[in-house]
Amino acid sequence: MGWLKNRFVYTFGGIALAILAWNVWVVLNDDGIIRGEVVSASGAPVEGATVKLTERTLLVARPRGETLTDADGRFTFTGHDLHHLFLEASKEGAGHAGPLEVRLYFKGENVNLHTPLRLDGTT
Amino acid sequence: MSRYPHWPIHLALSIASAAMLVPFYWVLKTSLTGENIFTFPPSLLPESPHIFYYVDVWYAIPFLRYLFNSIIVSVIVVVANVVLNAMAGYALTRDFPGKGATILLFLSCMMIPFQVTIIPAYLITSEMGLLNSYVGMALPLASTIVCIFVFKAAFEAIPKSLIDAARIDGVPDWMIVFRIILPLTKPAIATNVILSFIWSWNSFLWPLVIVRDAQMQTLPLGLARFLSVVEDTTGALYAFCVMVLVPGLIIFLLAQKEFITGLTSGATKG
Repeated sequence: MGWLKNRFVYTFGGIALAILAWNVWVVLNDDGIIRGEVVSASGAPVEGATVKLTERTLLVARPRGETLTDADGRFTFTGHDLHHLFLEASKEGAGHAGPLEVRLYFKGENVNLHTPLRLDGTT
Repeated sequence: MSRYPHWPIHLALSIASAAMLVPFYWVLKTSLTGENIFTFPPSLLPESPHIFYYVDVWYAIPFLRYLFNSIIVSVIVVVANVVLNAMAGYALTRDFPGKGATILLFLSCMMIPFQVTIIPAYLITSEMGLLNSYVGMALPLASTIVCIFVFKAAFEAIPKSLIDAARIDGVPDWMIVFRIILPLTKPAIATNVILSFIWSWNSFLWPLVIVRDAQMQTLPLGLARFLSVVEDTTGALYAFCVMVLVPGLIIFLLAQKEFITGLTSGATKG
């Protein structure tokens, strides 16, 4: 086994291990779930706001879905297969928020947005 | 003990090395920031670096397919170079009629640029039915004259008595080359591997001419295609450049000791 102890085996073996670990991580976190929150200008959760999801690639931007926030102002998208997207929120009388750019490390990565979409209060 | 301090030389070499590394640093920095290269004054340190341009490239093009194609072609080229150049180099260490003329022919062929012979090379490859194939892409680089001379220089450094002893024992020439001489010339093999790998990895014009199927494109062709389709993405373009460069750099850094030894073997006698 002495012939295995050289810098070529260490380097390419290390790269192979890193790729393996990364793929395990991807498989465990690629359900395509995006969770976030919409709040008003004063910071209160907004129910019934429309959240639009837009895909962004190097060439185009295209709408990929929309959903409504629940009583806690929370929204969820499931099953997306994007890695670069924008989120926008709006509600009649409460204003507009976004677009918020979200970049992911792989397609369909689960993400919890730590920054809420804050409606600007314009009508 | 030396009469003169070493630091001025080290300082000069450090500055020269840093100057050589600046372009690599700039490519890496731009791939992490997407900063416009015409920005003035340029920022020396990356501002808000991230790796998302690499993610964009990964999903924008069939990178794995290009990588696979490049690896297949490079492996064919490297294996062919080691085998064919070793045989040619060994032949040039033996005495035979017309040896001087053969060496002169080789040296003169080194002065002909590949662009001059690309049309006959294309016609020959076409006649062989190897257009749009891995072997066709590898063929012009399957044996290179520089590497033949690297092997020749390394083989000449081996004591002739060793080869004569093998001959007396009835060992055939091919076995002398592959079982006796090659194990003693690892730096020359490393030099062949590195040079042929890098030439094959960076080869652009020949694959551009003979590849017709997008699925057969190599990384340099993919880079050109990416540039033609996506014009306004500095960060992604530089990220792609880094992804093309990295495999060659890894190979070179891993084998640089043998590479330098191989290039300088035969430079001195005695």
